Amino acid sequence: MPISDAHAGRSYPATQPYQVSRAKITEFARALGDAENPAYSGEDPIAPPTFAAVLAAAAWDGLFADPELDLALSRTVHVDQRFRWQRPLRAGDLVRSALTIEKVRLRGATAIITISVLLDTPDGEQLCTATSTLMHTQEAA
Amino acid sequence: MSITAQPGQLLKSVEMPLTRVTLARYAGASGDFNPIHYNDAAAAALGLPGVIAHGMLTMGCGLRVVTDWIGDPARVLTYAVRFTKPVVVPAEGEAWVVFTGTVTTVADGVATVSLTATCGEDKVLGAATAEVRLD
Repeated sequence: MPISDAHAGRSYPATQPYQVSRAKITEFARALGDAENPAYSGEDPIAPPTFAAVLAAAAWDGLFADPELDLALSRTVHVDQRFRWQRPLRAGDLVRSALTIEKVRLRGATAIITISVLLDTPDGEQLCTATSTLMHTQEAA
Repeated sequence: MSITAQPGQLLKSVEMPLTRVTLARYAGASGDFNPIHYNDAAAAALGLPGVIAHGMLTMGCGLRVVTDWIGDPARVLTYAVRFTKPVVVPAEGEAWVVFTGTVTTVADGVATVSLTATCGEDKVLGAATAEVRLD
């Protein structure tokens, strides 16, 4: 059975903690052409805010691996993206990400799926919520 | 140190040239190796006009309008965009994306910034807004 609104509310276990490193912060800031911002270097660097997307994407794997939903990343379009931060991610942080399906709307073979990913530390400190709308097209049967 | 902001305030725009190298660098930094971001045949198979930039790359670059202004990225509270049009990046040369920002509201120590992102004639991000802490 493909994805339907019956799957709204389904949650997946949090990913294994990922440790944010200074090297990865430098690499990511440089990829955005933003290596000059001093916040991303020095003694106690923070990650560029949208680095949260990298950790959120790790939680997407659970969604696309769920055999019941029959989703494929190659048939998925990222429609919109929202972030709400409690605090910036810092070098040394251990971060888990846990995904919940918030809403599913079906229009023929197309599913509009709203997912939210909560980023937190293993101690349960909330860091960021990343909410995405995905448009998924079912393969013709 | 607090930052002053007033509704209507225009922020300094950012112009970002995106090349295939930019996309390769972002793929490595983000771990997003979807071939539509580096392989013309893979992009064409999905009906795209060519290799396209990662939406999250465009979104991330756009926030520079805000962080160049406020300095400390830790002040960013929220950021939201719609991906309205893909940014097609040619094999040779670059696609220029121009980002602008305007302060729309200031209340309770928080400024809301409305952002635009255009590549040629195309608006590549829609409803792009960020909220930043001023205090």
